[in-house]
Amino acid sequence: MLRLDGLVKEFGAKRAVDSVSMIVPPGQFVGVIGQSGAGKSTLLRAINRLSDPTQGSIWCNDTDVMALKGRGLRQWRARCAMIFQQFNLAGRLDVLTNVLMGRAFHAPVWRSVAKLWTAEEKAMGLSALESLDIARLAGQRADTLSGGQQQRVAIARALIQEPEIILADEPVASLDPRNTRVVMDALLHINKHFGITVMCNLHSLDLARKYCDRLVGLAGGQLVFDGVPAALTDHVARDLYGLEASDVVDADQRPVLVLGGAQGLAVANP
Amino acid sequence: MMNRGQIDVAALRGRHPHHFVGLQREQRMLALVAAALIALLLLGMAYLDFFDAKTLRGITKLGEVAILMLPPDPGSWAHFQLYFWALIETISIALLGTLTAAVLALPLGLLAARNVTASRFLRFLTRRSLDTIRSIDILVWALIWISVVGLGPFAGVLAFATSDIGSFGKLFAEAIEAADRKPVEGIVSTGGGKLLGVRFGILPEVFPVLASQLLYYFESNTRWASVLGVVGAGGIGLQLGEAIRVLELQQASFIILMILIAVALIDVISNRLRFALIGRRVQTA
Amino acid sequence: MSSPIVQLPEAQLRPLLAGYNATVRSRRWHTLLIFVAVVVAMGLSSIAAEVSLPTFVDKIGNFTGYIGRLFHLDSGRGVWTDPVEWYWGLGRWLRLLGETLVMAYVGTALGVIGAFFLSFLAATNVTPNRWLSVVVRRFCEFCRTVPGLVFALMFVIAFGLGPMAGVLAVAIHTLGTLVKLFSEVVENIDPKPVEGVSSTGAAWHVAMRFGALPQVLSGFVSYTLLRFEINVRESAVLGFVGAGGIGMDLFEAIRKFYYSDVSAILVMIVITVALIDSATSLIRHRLLGLMDGHR
Ligand SMILES: Nc1ncnc2c1ncn2[C@@H]1O[C@H](COP(=O)(O)OP(=O)(O)OP(=O)(O)O)[C@@H](O)[C@H]1O
Ligand SMILES: [Mg+2]
Repeated sequence: MLRLDGLVKEFGAKRAVDSVSMIVPPGQFVGVIGQSGAGKSTLLRAINRLSDPTQGSIWCNDTDVMALKGRGLRQWRARCAMIFQQFNLAGRLDVLTNVLMGRAFHAPVWRSVAKLWTAEEKAMGLSALESLDIARLAGQRADTLSGGQQQRVAIARALIQEPEIILADEPVASLDPRNTRVVMDALLHINKHFGITVMCNLHSLDLARKYCDRLVGLAGGQLVFDGVPAALTDHVARDLYGLEASDVVDADQRPVLVLGGAQGLAVANP
Repeated sequence: MMNRGQIDVAALRGRHPHHFVGLQREQRMLALVAAALIALLLLGMAYLDFFDAKTLRGITKLGEVAILMLPPDPGSWAHFQLYFWALIETISIALLGTLTAAVLALPLGLLAARNVTASRFLRFLTRRSLDTIRSIDILVWALIWISVVGLGPFAGVLAFATSDIGSFGKLFAEAIEAADRKPVEGIVSTGGGKLLGVRFGILPEVFPVLASQLLYYFESNTRWASVLGVVGAGGIGLQLGEAIRVLELQQASFIILMILIAVALIDVISNRLRFALIGRRVQTA
Repeated sequence: MSSPIVQLPEAQLRPLLAGYNATVRSRRWHTLLIFVAVVVAMGLSSIAAEVSLPTFVDKIGNFTGYIGRLFHLDSGRGVWTDPVEWYWGLGRWLRLLGETLVMAYVGTALGVIGAFFLSFLAATNVTPNRWLSVVVRRFCEFCRTVPGLVFALMFVIAFGLGPMAGVLAVAIHTLGTLVKLFSEVVENIDPKPVEGVSSTGAAWHVAMRFGALPQVLSGFVSYTLLRFEINVRESAVLGFVGAGGIGMDLFEAIRKFYYSDVSAILVMIVITVALIDSATSLIRHRLLGLMDGHR
């Protein structure tokens, strides 16, 4: 169980994440939504502690994540895998080496540095790749792969961490519709079959409704919505996205600007 | 209709003050700077006795020297052999010195790079040391190493090794800082340490850049290695300096020709290698 | 929760592993080959360059000792204890350092003026004559490849000992380098403005003045300032062959083991170079800002 308590992340004077508290039970597929700049990426990065929160606490079962340092911190990162929008692979290295980075915490450093993987580790990596249908690409350089393939490599890397949680930061934002399905289905599969918690930032409300058990909405760094997808009515979505709602909800319900005499500028729904 | 007389300059000036005032002021400023620079040049030339009868005589003498250099001629087969081996020695000095410097500079480059070394103080210290090494010319290093290990090519190798640490360290640090931080983040997010992040996230990416810089330096160092001998640090510079001093100018020009050919060859080879390494032509200033 | 990795059966795994190993092995061979080539080249050149590790190990103590001695006065005390004694020759060294700077400035300026005109002839996209371009390029390649010190040696024969030889050596070398860099800048310009001016029937030099020059000026200035900094460093050692500047005194001090003089002069050079370095980069940024605001 993951628990966030009054989590705050400040960049200078800007509060990118503003006192977010929530509890994520194991095995949930949580979608994080909100408009650009709402603090979604910052929230996930804070949980993995890629960037340290300014205030608040993160608990995972009995682990006080904020107190971790050194090896303990790295162990925590191994327990909550991250998937990035831009895949974050080492382009000039081959696919399997990239995947095996997922064992970085478990293997002794000298062995990793010398790329001396055990047969067992290689088998793990190849199995993970095969479960995503790309084991035949194992020897290829990562930057020669298509975006969808690269994202699957990144998922394989996350898988062989054998994580409890997967944090996915807009994993499909740079993919075409077909690859989007492949990647989202893979995450869903992992979530349903192995009970791994997934927290996934999404831009598309359609995807969020289709795949997630629960949605949390951020606006200006604050948690403004938390509920099942069905509770996310268009009305709520509009609140969440402000005027940008036209981009994500049906076009015919687009809010329009009207100039009303004495009241000045107002937003209305025709 | 509009003719010259009707253009309302005042109104235009009012609407676009920048185009008038700015341009005029900046242009006047540039002209002033240019005039000052030229005045400084003339003063400097006067200070160095350029406007002197001696200069004219020198130029005549230079013409004579140039004529005396032609055609290039080693003098004898024995001389040619001597020069040839000295040239090999020169190239060897450059190669060894450049490689050694690169190997030593890599850790320093990492130490000076913002995305690898967190400590601001350590970075500053490394950068300053590299700058200091860089601001001392290779010939000074050569003389210092001669005082330590004696005359000969070994001193030349050590001179390159020390002197180029400064340049390489700085260039490497810049290349490392320019590296994409996403792969490192990917590795760190899995629980890998800094070391793995550098090893797999940064080094593979910057390696071709470093190698191409190394090749470029090898070429330019070969040029420099050919003068180290003038101060006694090995290589063909010894013969060249000697030939010029005793006015064996045809031999001197022959040696220069050999150097030019060697450098051109190395240029071709290193361009090929660079191309193979990066798969595209890189611009090196 | 269970491990998300479902291990493949052996029969399926084996060909995948074999395929991967084969690709990686061929790549490893490649790397190994390069490595061996480099090691062999280093081995051969160590023989040619008379590198001897025993000597090195034996003498490395001398190096640290040497550096240590640099910072001690003849009396054995540290130089910092008696700055007046350390810098006993300050007046003379300052004058020589000034001379070095003037040499670098005049050499750079002369080189730049030459390079400015030649680069338009050398640049393949605007050259008035292809053959002229080739000739200019070859000449500049020659000026660039022959080390400045060699030029200095020859100019010393013609002009006698003194800064004149040094200045000319700096100028020639600057010319060679800058024509290459400048003409690259010219080759990268947008051709439309030049064509625009030419289409009005303007002469070549007019087209260059109004079509090309505004585009290349900032690049030229940048390279010039960088070159000036390099030239200061180079001028400081031209004195080694008698071509003027502070190098003469430095050479003598090193050769005659006047340790504290060596450090005194080197410290002066290092500081000067650092100052010039920051000054040129400051000017470069200011000037580029000024010019960009202009366009
Ligand atoms: N490293 C940083 N330094 C300064 N400000 C930052 C930094 N990272 C994020 N921010 C700011 O924090 C806020 C939240 O950014 P974040 O990247 O979390 O938004 P997001 O919800 O992920 O947006 P998007 O959907 O566009 O990815 C933004 O205003 C951003 O400008
Ligand atoms: Mg984001």
